[in-house]
Amino acid sequence: MNVQSAATRSFSRRNFLGLTAAAASVPLLAACGGGSASQGGGGGAGGTIKFWDMPWATPAYNDSAKKIAEGFSGANNAKANYQIIQWNNFYQTFSSAIASKTGPAVSTGGGFQAFQFEQQGQIAYADKVIEKMKSNGQFDDFLPGVLDPFKSDKGYVAVPWQLDMRVFWYRKSLFEKANVALPTDWPSLLEAGKALKKVGAFGFATGAGSGNNYGNHSMIMMMVNNGGGVWSKDGELDLLNDRNVEAMEFVLELVSNGIVDPAAVSYTTDNMSAQWKDGKAGFGLFQVNVPQRVGDTSGDLLVADPITGPHGDKATIVFPNNIMMYKNTPSQEASEEFLVYYLGQLKELWKQKLMSALPVFKSITEIPEFADDPNNVKIVKDWQPIAKTFASQGSTLNANLAALDGGQALNQFSQSILTGQATDAKTALQTFQSGLESVLKK
Amino acid sequence: MSSTTAPSGLSRARRGLAPGGSGASPGRKSKLSAQTTRTFFWLLLPSVVLLVLIHGYPLIHAAVQATHDGDLLQTGNFVGGENFANVLSSPAFWKAAQFTLWFTIVGVFGSWLVGLGLALLLRTKIPAGNTFKVLLLLPWVVPIVVSSTAWNWLVATPDSLIPSIFRGLGLGTPLFLADPTLASITVMVFKVWVSFPFMMMMISAALASVDTTVYEAASMDGASKWQQFTQITLPLIARSTYISWILMTIFCVNDFPTIYLLTGGGPVSATTSLVVLAYRTVFQDFATGPGVAIAFLMTMTLVVISVILYRQIRKSSVE
Repeated sequence: MNVQSAATRSFSRRNFLGLTAAAASVPLLAACGGGSASQGGGGGAGGTIKFWDMPWATPAYNDSAKKIAEGFSGANNAKANYQIIQWNNFYQTFSSAIASKTGPAVSTGGGFQAFQFEQQGQIAYADKVIEKMKSNGQFDDFLPGVLDPFKSDKGYVAVPWQLDMRVFWYRKSLFEKANVALPTDWPSLLEAGKALKKVGAFGFATGAGSGNNYGNHSMIMMMVNNGGGVWSKDGELDLLNDRNVEAMEFVLELVSNGIVDPAAVSYTTDNMSAQWKDGKAGFGLFQVNVPQRVGDTSGDLLVADPITGPHGDKATIVFPNNIMMYKNTPSQEASEEFLVYYLGQLKELWKQKLMSALPVFKSITEIPEFADDPNNVKIVKDWQPIAKTFASQGSTLNANLAALDGGQALNQFSQSILTGQATDAKTALQTFQSGLESVLKK
Repeated sequence: MSSTTAPSGLSRARRGLAPGGSGASPGRKSKLSAQTTRTFFWLLLPSVVLLVLIHGYPLIHAAVQATHDGDLLQTGNFVGGENFANVLSSPAFWKAAQFTLWFTIVGVFGSWLVGLGLALLLRTKIPAGNTFKVLLLLPWVVPIVVSSTAWNWLVATPDSLIPSIFRGLGLGTPLFLADPTLASITVMVFKVWVSFPFMMMMISAALASVDTTVYEAASMDGASKWQQFTQITLPLIARSTYISWILMTIFCVNDFPTIYLLTGGGPVSATTSLVVLAYRTVFQDFATGPGVAIAFLMTMTLVVISVILYRQIRKSSVE
């Protein structure tokens, strides 16, 4: 009898089945074990705070943010680790992780994400963070009005850290070529658009193609600029108010006069940037840092003055991006301590010129790296004070805004206006309202 | 003379017994059979458990979501078939279903026709045939994110290359992605462009197995080239054709990136397929129940189409 046969005999069918079962159970056990390790383990009583962040700018931004986050050293040896979450399916990523208790303790994310998770009982209110900021002086450093949209009946749902502004930009040389003055109100916007058209440029540049929300934002901005908005002051859907109808009739007039690029409905953000770079876009709504974004820092692209609506209103829209805390944390105190620390370090991101958004703190708007750019200064001085959120005419953000921003109803509405398929503003708004009503949580 | 007759030999072979082998005694047969059953059971169990976990659990979870009014985190209240009823009564669903149908028909048969033509062409002796074959595979090989971006730059703006060529030829400036009809056509052409290499490879493989002497015999019998193609080539590659149709139908119905990256489903829903509608309903409108209901309806439709085509495969095999 040789060794091999002895081994074969000793390795019976029962042994084989047992081994198979053990092997099959490994992934199951691994999967079951995931939850208990959700917070990274260790790190003393403070634990390790999982901080999830989005790719808000170039990879250099995430490198710096990671450095800041991992530089945290809190009480009880609390630490933080940093993870980038891609925008693709981000809500699903957060939802799955939170449902399986493997989510972050603190995160950035979608503009209204905090309110969505608050509705589901997953958010830890930031009132103590605000208290700490009051005591260390950071609270008084907030730009006016940026914190108010986050205060719900139960407390602060999140804390803002950057403002994604929508402001009008223009190309100076095109206005000179068209020999027309910069628009200051709607009639002059129409006239400027007609003049720009004669020199082959568009006076209401926008885009509503795949993944591009600027077309949607342009529609809401025009409503808000006319004292309207999607919601009433009480937070009820109010799309059919007279101001909205008037604003959309005006946009349809721009479309019918060829002031809006007929291909804009299909433009991605890259297509839009190319139109700005190629001198096809003369005037239109865009974000902060457009020259850097489109690759033309010659000084020809400038921030325009806010325009006045027919009833004297002057407003734009802003998305106050925020940092939220979750109930699933190794230590709520450590989460709060981390958030206060992180907000205190934000200046670094603007010092390194990594951000395409406004800071929420006055002190950051005053640093040379930010204030050296006259466009930035103009946005802070002229646009930020008149900026309203998507909740306008209401003031507090809520979970329903997530279904509005990027949802099918708004997207279809914007595209129907931009293509001129909607010939009547009121009917288009009615369809928009019905579409929104069907998806909003009652 | 052999002691084993043919039928009994077959029967023994099925039981795994060699000629002359004694096999188990009749008394032991039932005991062995029970042991074998148990062995099969234990061997199959891990696979069955894994299959249930991988397919069964998500399916049940999806069924729960489709019959509730919750979201991605919470199940919500049971609403029965309300989500299905709402979806089926929605014009957006039927518009998306109509686009999906056209997209699938053009995607399957367009790519099949192009693939078949190129497979037949590559069968002939052409210079640098293999290089040509590799180059033709590129649309399938290149990641869809890259190719959709390239197509976007070719057609998106009035100053893009293709509209400029049209303008140069005095054909106006077509807005390939901004006009609803042109956007639908563009997306379908893009799908055919992406998919034809797959069809070409499937058909090339099938053609390679066809014996050339069949064609020689047909020629001697006076069959024309067209008759040879319709009476010999097509029937002989029918099995591969049906398989490729099944696969391409599934690819087309489930195709999300081709459409979403190029048009996002627009303009004004002109290129919204069912899978894009399901995605947007769940992840942009946050209406999980109706979105999953759409996905369920898609799955059921795909199963029916697959069964019909699978029957055609069996039929063609018998023939």
